[in-house]
Amino acid sequence: MKKKQPVIKALALFTIWFLYVPLLGVAVCSFNSAKDGFIWKGFTLQWYVKLFSNDWILTCAWNTLVLALVSTAIATVMGTVLAYGMNRFPWGRKTNSFLNMILNIPIVIPDIIMAGALVVVFSLMRIFSDIFRMGMIDMIIGHVTFQLAFVALVVRSRLTLIGSDVEEAARDLFADNWYLMRKVMIPLMMPGIVAGAMLAFTLSLDDFVISFFLAGPDSQTLPLYIYAAVRRGVTPQIHALSTLVVFVTVLLVIGIERLSKKNEVSLTE
Amino acid sequence: MKKTVLIVMLLLSAFARTVFANDKEVRIFIWSEYMDEFKMRDQFKKAYGINAKIDIYENNEEMLAKLMAGGVSEYDIIVPSDYVIPSLIRNKLIQPLNKAKIPNLKNIMPMFAKTTYDPGGDYVAAYQWGTVGLMYNRKKISDADAKSWAVLFDPKKQKGTFWLMDSVRDTMAMANMYLGFDMNTTNPAQIKKSAELLTQVKHSRYCRGFKPGVGAKNDVDANQADMAIVYNGDGMRAVIADKKRLGFTIPKEGGEIWCDFMAIPAKAPNVENAYKWINFVLDAKIGAQVSNYNRYATPNQASVKYIIPMDLKSDEIYPGPETMKRLHYTKDLGSVNKIVDEAWTSVKSH
Repeated sequence: MKKKQPVIKALALFTIWFLYVPLLGVAVCSFNSAKDGFIWKGFTLQWYVKLFSNDWILTCAWNTLVLALVSTAIATVMGTVLAYGMNRFPWGRKTNSFLNMILNIPIVIPDIIMAGALVVVFSLMRIFSDIFRMGMIDMIIGHVTFQLAFVALVVRSRLTLIGSDVEEAARDLFADNWYLMRKVMIPLMMPGIVAGAMLAFTLSLDDFVISFFLAGPDSQTLPLYIYAAVRRGVTPQIHALSTLVVFVTVLLVIGIERLSKKNEVSLTE
Repeated sequence: MKKTVLIVMLLLSAFARTVFANDKEVRIFIWSEYMDEFKMRDQFKKAYGINAKIDIYENNEEMLAKLMAGGVSEYDIIVPSDYVIPSLIRNKLIQPLNKAKIPNLKNIMPMFAKTTYDPGGDYVAAYQWGTVGLMYNRKKISDADAKSWAVLFDPKKQKGTFWLMDSVRDTMAMANMYLGFDMNTTNPAQIKKSAELLTQVKHSRYCRGFKPGVGAKNDVDANQADMAIVYNGDGMRAVIADKKRLGFTIPKEGGEIWCDFMAIPAKAPNVENAYKWINFVLDAKIGAQVSNYNRYATPNQASVKYIIPMDLKSDEIYPGPETMKRLHYTKDLGSVNKIVDEAWTSVKSH
């Protein structure tokens, strides 16, 4: 029987309020027909309409989406493989702790140092091939670099949770590698893979610093556009854009939550 | 299997956008709100069938940083200010113009065709010229008060909230002139004094911080601030729309006069299209259209007859001889640039 804790309830409600009221405020402002200030002048959808006819913003949104999808796909595959290899291969103790350390570096390192390092690397690689000029490919590689660590971390914790019993049982029953992967390990790891992919996707959508240093004229993303636009003055179009981005994110989270609940293979069935 | 095919297809589509570069495009890197981007793009497309891709920046240093990080092979046109051009030429970041391909170069007024920044007129073509001054809310700050920079820099005379311009040379210049130094002083002691003044001003409760010219202008226009250091064209666009409430002036201690030029980066991908763009902008009618939009002064002699007559008479846009005495050009400081940069960094970080 749980005792009702009013203080904890109040704290929880306050935290939720603190997190979401600013977002709601932006959403409300985006429907406000006043161009500036916070005085409510009337409901309007004109800022959203203007948004969709602004092909600058649409190009940026498309670039952001392509970048996030492609880098998430690559990072999820590579991260899962990395996590599996790190967890299941019998490394020596020293190698194991070394691998642990280098896995944690992209997570702990400040974004701007990562971005600076990537700029230097790409200017070196540009000598060899023109493919590495500032643009989408640079940005994808840059994003995959930091997403990998996050995905690998999440999947590895899931692997530790699964334990090696099921795998050993499957091998006892004559499962070969491909069958083992397809029918046993991947379904078991799926919640971890999905969580890792979601994390990677969000990180890429949000990313500003690394995109700022690597973007070319053809591959401006939404965070870069919003940064540049805000320096010139916050217009209600930015409010409308931000509200849409938050809305899409919420939809995504709900959708993936539903999907992963369906596909989840329980360990205790 | 399906997953791999999907991934490969996504990769290919990402590739396709970058590898198959369009030769029917020109990439322009320009100041924000400096032209009617959508209109100019459509007109250019109709005239030459070339897509103009426009990227914007807020100050020269930002443009330089992008250029040196790889942008020199990404953009076809950049629009640097006068004082940046000598270092661009020194560092071989821009290429000489093939004047035969830009017949409209003859339209430029002689004083802007060959300047001390580019003595032969070989590298750049003038775009717009203007000044830097004080934009203010006339309902809060009287016209008499606005005649001196003291309304920003003197704690006893600050009458309203303000933004300083987030541009190292422009704001340091105003501080230098207020303290009575030469705008382009290379004396480290004087530079230090100006930096200290700015740091002090930054901490005053009226100062809202640093913002690029366009952003600050938008804030004053929206009543989020009472004053700002802005470029005259940006300021005048707002003032002309609301003459009773807003004003722009060059204070008595002095202001800055500048000229922006179009240049082609050293490794520009579409040089021929860049020449077509420069020629297009230097056309008499297009040049006037640009100036009538952004309210700056045109260096294009042939455009003068198409400029809005009220603008030609406006002292804020085309300064008369009296105002000209207070206006000074920014100079390239060569090796002293580093000292100014350090002073600016200390202002921003203390």
